[in-house]
Amino acid sequence: MAAARIEFKGSSFTLSVLHLKTATIADIRADLAKKVAQAPDFFYLVPIVVSIDKLNDDIDYQGIKTLIEEFNFTFVGFTGAISKEQRQLIRECGFSFVNTAKANTVKKTVLVEESVAEKPKAVIATPQRDLYTDKIHRGQIRSGQQVYAKDQNLVVIGSVSAGAEVIADGNIHVYGSLRGRAIAGATGHHKAQIYCQKLEAELVSINGNYWLSESMEEHWASPVYIQLTDNELTSSKLI
Amino acid sequence: MARIIVVTSGKGGVGKTTSSAAIGLGLALKGHKVVLIDFDIGLRNLDLIMGCERRVVYDFVNVINGEATLNQALIKDKRVSSLSILPASQTRDKDALNKENVGKVLEDLGKLYDFIICDSPAGIEAGAMMALYYADEAIITTNPEVSSVRDSDRIIGMLASRSRRAELGLEPIKEHLLLTRYSPKRVAEGEMLSVEDVEDILSIPLLGVIPESQAVLKASNAGEPVILDTESDAGQAYQDVIDRLLGETIDFRFLVVEKKGIFSRMFGG
Ligand SMILES: Nc1ncnc2c1ncn2[C@@H]1O[C@H](COP(=O)(O)OP(=O)(O)OP(=O)(O)O)[C@@H](O)[C@H]1O
Ligand SMILES: [Mg+2]
Repeated sequence: MAAARIEFKGSSFTLSVLHLKTATIADIRADLAKKVAQAPDFFYLVPIVVSIDKLNDDIDYQGIKTLIEEFNFTFVGFTGAISKEQRQLIRECGFSFVNTAKANTVKKTVLVEESVAEKPKAVIATPQRDLYTDKIHRGQIRSGQQVYAKDQNLVVIGSVSAGAEVIADGNIHVYGSLRGRAIAGATGHHKAQIYCQKLEAELVSINGNYWLSESMEEHWASPVYIQLTDNELTSSKLI
Repeated sequence: MARIIVVTSGKGGVGKTTSSAAIGLGLALKGHKVVLIDFDIGLRNLDLIMGCERRVVYDFVNVINGEATLNQALIKDKRVSSLSILPASQTRDKDALNKENVGKVLEDLGKLYDFIICDSPAGIEAGAMMALYYADEAIITTNPEVSSVRDSDRIIGMLASRSRRAELGLEPIKEHLLLTRYSPKRVAEGEMLSVEDVEDILSIPLLGVIPESQAVLKASNAGEPVILDTESDAGQAYQDVIDRLLGETIDFRFLVVEKKGIFSRMFGG
């Protein structure tokens, strides 16, 4: 018997989602330009799903797709909790509609709860993202160098110089001084955190929310960790 | 085997050529066979500082192109016979050098000398990369100010990624920090970074601290490397650098503002 030469299988991936709070193309372009400028290499050809959750009607689907591609992302499709009619419309315009895993989870939860009294732990557990492994970099990261931990946390045993850039999809730990730029949760992970022994950074960013040096006054030159609380960066002393 | 040492910085005008000349001559005065190579193609400064500019017939590029032999191009120093200078070309541009030919020249020189000192051009482009490519050791010349330190940091990154040793996965280039034009007074006044600041940022071993000194300009104009001015603070600081390069442990000098002179102390001034 000849083996099948192609096969369809389901797999889950972690994709970046761009959440739109406006449908005005010019505004989206302006904000995207700012974000992408922070780490142009890093965003290059990254697959992007656009969430239109928070938008009313009157969406220029083609315009949004073109804009996304203008910034060298790979456009995947639209997502969001929207009406059946709107989904139909998106398909008619020739775009995919992508269901989020969360939406499925919610459905499942309800199903399970109907039949069993006990809360299903497995379903509540957050997706694989909390299980990032570590990429370990030994030695100082110098001005002009960039280290990216794709789908990983980044552990730097040494300092990050001014003019250097560290990026991780997970957390960033710097066992030394952080003087350059640190971008954690780079592909959209609001729980990501940044730890360092001495905060003297040019920029820190978690899930797209960033601080420049001037915002770090409170804990400047201290051992700190930085996290996102209600979409705001906050810093706390480590010791 | 010869030690190939590049004197580099990223930023321009920080004292690479001054240091190359002082260190080259200093090592030769200790009896070592030394050749100084000017990699700053198109500018040609080293021969001026060494005081041999009128004796340049052929240059590094001529040798690279096979237009002259090494023997024809090397200029013997008039003060110390174990020192030679391979001058840069003033007329060619920096693309005249290529890895293969430079490697060949360094190999030939390695058979004749104990130390090969490469005076790098400023910047991080081809010329500077060529000067550091074959190095075993690097003297990272830095002034105590932010932009110079930043550029040095950049260069240290390149030593670790763009050198032959990096490409072949050999033991990394040995790094030495040389802080030049250091003025303890301006450090005390908060106008300059301190030795500790720079060490903290770059975290590589300190080879020497050369004070800002009138003697350097005087030496350059006379074509007599400042190490010959044994009375001067800069000359003595370079002498310490030589001793450290040769493996001695020597305390650092000229790091604090000069105490009052002996007379004012005696008379309680
Ligand atoms: N310790 C010092 N005290 C005072 N002046 C100094 C000192 N060291 C260097 N200088 C002066 O700084 C200037 C630049 O020095 P030098 O030419 O050695 O730098 P360089 O790094 O080789 O420059 P370039 O990048 O152009 O090759 C010269 O005028 C020199 O006299
Ligand atoms: Mg020079």
